[in-house]
Amino acid sequence: MSSATVSAGIPQAKVPMRTKVGHVVLYVVLIVLLLAFISPFLIVIINSFKNMSDITSDPLSLTGEHGFTLENFTGAMDAMNFWTVFGNSLIITISATVLTIIFSAMAAYVIARNPRWPACALLLTLMVASMVIPFQVLMVPIVSVYGGIFGVLAHRLTLILMHVGFSVSMATFMFQGAIFTSVPAEIEEAAEIDGCSKWKTFWSIVFPLLKPMIATVAVIDAMGFWNDYLLPSLVLTDKNLYTIPIATQVFYGTYSTDIGLVMAALLLAMLPILILYLFLQRYIIAGVAAGAVKG
Amino acid sequence: MNNSWKRIGTAALASLAAVGMLASCGGSSADDSNTLTIFNSKSEIQSQFEQMAEKYTEETGVKTEVYFSSDTISAHLSTRYASNNPYVLSMVDAKDVYSLGPEHAVDLSDEDWVADTTQAISVGGKVLGFPVSIEARGLMYNADAIEAITGEEFNPEDYQTLDAFEDLIDELKAGGMESPTGVLKEDWSLAGHYLPQVYEEQEDPVAFVEELNAGTADLANNDKFNSLMDTFDVLKANNYAKDSAISAEREVTTQNFAEGKIAFLFGGNWDWAIINQYDYTDGLGIMPVPQNTDDGTNTKLVGGGSKYFFIDSSDNVTDEQRQWAKDFLNWLVSDPDGQDFIVNTCSMVSPFSSNTLEPADPLGKSVKEYSDAGNLIGNFNGLPDDHYSVLGADFQKYLADQEDRDAFAKAIETYWSGAKMTNVDAFASSLQ
Amino acid sequence: MPKTKLGYKVGQFLMFAGPAALLFCLVVIVPFFYGLYLTFTSWDGVSLNKPFVGLDNYSAVVADTDFWTSLGMTVIYSVITVVITNIVAFLLAFLVTSGIKGQNFFRAGFFIPNLIGGIVLGYVWKFIFNRAFVSIASGVTGATVPSLLSTTQGAIFCLIFVSVWQYAGYMMLIYIAGFMSVDASLKEAALIDGCSSRQAMWHVTIPLMRSSFVTCIFLSTTRCFMVYDINLSLTNGEPFGSSVLAAMHVYRTAFTEKNYGVGQAEALVLFIICAVIGLLQVYVGKKGEVEA
Repeated sequence: MSSATVSAGIPQAKVPMRTKVGHVVLYVVLIVLLLAFISPFLIVIINSFKNMSDITSDPLSLTGEHGFTLENFTGAMDAMNFWTVFGNSLIITISATVLTIIFSAMAAYVIARNPRWPACALLLTLMVASMVIPFQVLMVPIVSVYGGIFGVLAHRLTLILMHVGFSVSMATFMFQGAIFTSVPAEIEEAAEIDGCSKWKTFWSIVFPLLKPMIATVAVIDAMGFWNDYLLPSLVLTDKNLYTIPIATQVFYGTYSTDIGLVMAALLLAMLPILILYLFLQRYIIAGVAAGAVKG
Repeated sequence: MNNSWKRIGTAALASLAAVGMLASCGGSSADDSNTLTIFNSKSEIQSQFEQMAEKYTEETGVKTEVYFSSDTISAHLSTRYASNNPYVLSMVDAKDVYSLGPEHAVDLSDEDWVADTTQAISVGGKVLGFPVSIEARGLMYNADAIEAITGEEFNPEDYQTLDAFEDLIDELKAGGMESPTGVLKEDWSLAGHYLPQVYEEQEDPVAFVEELNAGTADLANNDKFNSLMDTFDVLKANNYAKDSAISAEREVTTQNFAEGKIAFLFGGNWDWAIINQYDYTDGLGIMPVPQNTDDGTNTKLVGGGSKYFFIDSSDNVTDEQRQWAKDFLNWLVSDPDGQDFIVNTCSMVSPFSSNTLEPADPLGKSVKEYSDAGNLIGNFNGLPDDHYSVLGADFQKYLADQEDRDAFAKAIETYWSGAKMTNVDAFASSLQ
Repeated sequence: MPKTKLGYKVGQFLMFAGPAALLFCLVVIVPFFYGLYLTFTSWDGVSLNKPFVGLDNYSAVVADTDFWTSLGMTVIYSVITVVITNIVAFLLAFLVTSGIKGQNFFRAGFFIPNLIGGIVLGYVWKFIFNRAFVSIASGVTGATVPSLLSTTQGAIFCLIFVSVWQYAGYMMLIYIAGFMSVDASLKEAALIDGCSSRQAMWHVTIPLMRSSFVTCIFLSTTRCFMVYDINLSLTNGEPFGSSVLAAMHVYRTAFTEKNYGVGQAEALVLFIICAVIGLLQVYVGKKGEVEA
């Protein structure tokens, strides 16, 4: 692993490992846990290369009597119209994630620094409360209001803004927690004495310090947007705008679920998110290693 | 550090700007009044439907798009109604025609195909539902598996009574097939397909259900209930997954049946969509559920129209679109390509007598034989919406030996005494 | 402008929180009130008429014993899942921030369950419980062992198991961020002052991670109370309708049984319960934060 990884461990590395045995035990524990966590995923990989008959007869074998096949992948890509829906998913996920981060970090800042302002207290309370609204409650009202009255469904922009509207509450909540714990108010005061406006202070000092939380929120929200099915299925009433999860629903029916296609589609769909996660995870670490948090 | 951060910020903003432009330009218009939108609720024929729509668009010049949703049909349609954006043509289950039809469907009584089928649904004297296919329930058999043991030709007519059927089961077991049957534990199979036969095979199903609702029917002593449950007991006792009946997976059971490891499975011709994914043997078919009865029900399958199209009647759809939809329905009935699409491309049994194409799959063949000979007992299309989930749970208890027959009968009576009768009433009035 | 003026405050608020607040209100609050209105109608979800019935739906909710049963089941499921999830997630986060080699790799691995959407996840696990575990257990005992999913307690256990498996990686991420943001110098100081590393963890790191705990417990609680995907694809309420959790009951009432008004009212009751629990939790957590 990269040097960043090692340096990230500096705080703990100073604690001497008692014995080499301890080290080995730690690794064994981690590896066993890891296997437990990813075994279902391995089953998905194995079975995505088998046909339906082999999947049913022996799901755990590497290949069945019909042998290795790529048909699930070609079939899934075909049925989903893969590249179009992939592009749609990408556009929607990226824009919604960026907007969510910017808007909620800003909101979190004013809330965290002025908890006693009634508007801030009210907004935070509403936001926290809204996180526990079951989506089914809003499903029909949303289409009634934005489809029935305003007629703005079937636009990507509508979906993007709705995604943002739904996720700002949790992101704001997380950011304001991070501002409390990792942005010392003193540096802001120092900046203000130097003549910085609140706006400039936020962007040049606070926002960069939130980097670990930004990476976390980015991963969580991007993943949520990428995999979301219910909201896009309500908003994207036009076939040409479909995202990956809507395109895969055709593999599920009451009387038949083509599990081979489902698994292949799943693998195709999760790759970009996995890459994003691996990329951002380095950032979480880099931010800490450079001592940004210490200020 | 700061530099890299700025770079990321710049990149993010740039991509945001690009994306914003794409989003606003690429967003398609919500106005699809130039399109014939079709909602398909059968997942197994979605890709065939899409290919057909492409061809249909080319040939007729009518832009046709086919949509599918894996949600509950009424939930999905309710969101489309709420957004004033209904499909021109929607494929739904029979019960949905009763509940949605009067408000949302166009009267199709004047269409030519009405005289060509017995399966169209009328509500209040108006034909609202166009039948897409015929599906029927019965006991599916794998003749190859049976013949391999008995050594003689399997003739389903010889096993109309439960006694004869049990003898055959014993013979199969003696011949080495330890457990010759399978039972699907899904609530839609138990309480959506098997249990309704108890109502459907009564002399007057509606009257019987109304008695249940009024609390005057004595189910535990009802001949039909007992005769069907006697047969179910035999299926249950010989179930290959007897010890794990309520966790048996449908795919595994179906594979066992298709490959002849078991010989009998209660189901219907929709099961073909799954069976054909396995290495099935050729001698499959559907026979009536064997019963010790002389009322003739053990010589017939139960079924009829399955999935119905209706055309939206609201102002959100133009008359031109409605005409396209009517033309499309006529194309399905009488155009050779349309007929071929239903029977060969989608492996369905056509409910129209002018469509004489033979189904290619063996289950469909059985169903068509019984249907052509008038040997179908009609579906009871008026079950309350929660019937299969509530009684499915009780039927599972019965299957798992956690509830005996009397308790199960009681549970059914209790359910009906508190059931919403809207669907039953709608169904009853459509029969008159 | 003086910082105490109302104008200044409004300006600051709008400048920073304006966009978020606007979108939030448009997407959540407005539809919520429309949804609230629908609970006073006997709408079936598809009809053009929405007859006003006052509080009828709420008395139907009170009388719906199945709903309260499912809610009770949800409470049991949530309490167990939240406790186990957070313990597992915290331990995982601790292990992968302890500076061992390859910790990036492990972090990615533990997070992977989250990359699979709820529906597919349920299918895969169902298959593992019904097939893989059964064949292993039967091999070991020599008798046919029924699947866990076919018994009432077993099904709930499976739901808890899969939920923990999925949420733990997610919560781990938040705990990692928490570990990372604890000022390393504070801990070093504690160590220099003669604390053992365990004491440093207990007295320095954990109190400083309070906001991570509040966030994680809050998130896992609300997710558990509203769980639907996994419930649908893993057990679908089976066996015998015993594993129908609250959200599934709501969905079935509203859409399968076409009692939209009642379903909506039940969802609202569910919401109020969640909101009370959630806000209470955050309030308690925040209070402690100030003291710490």
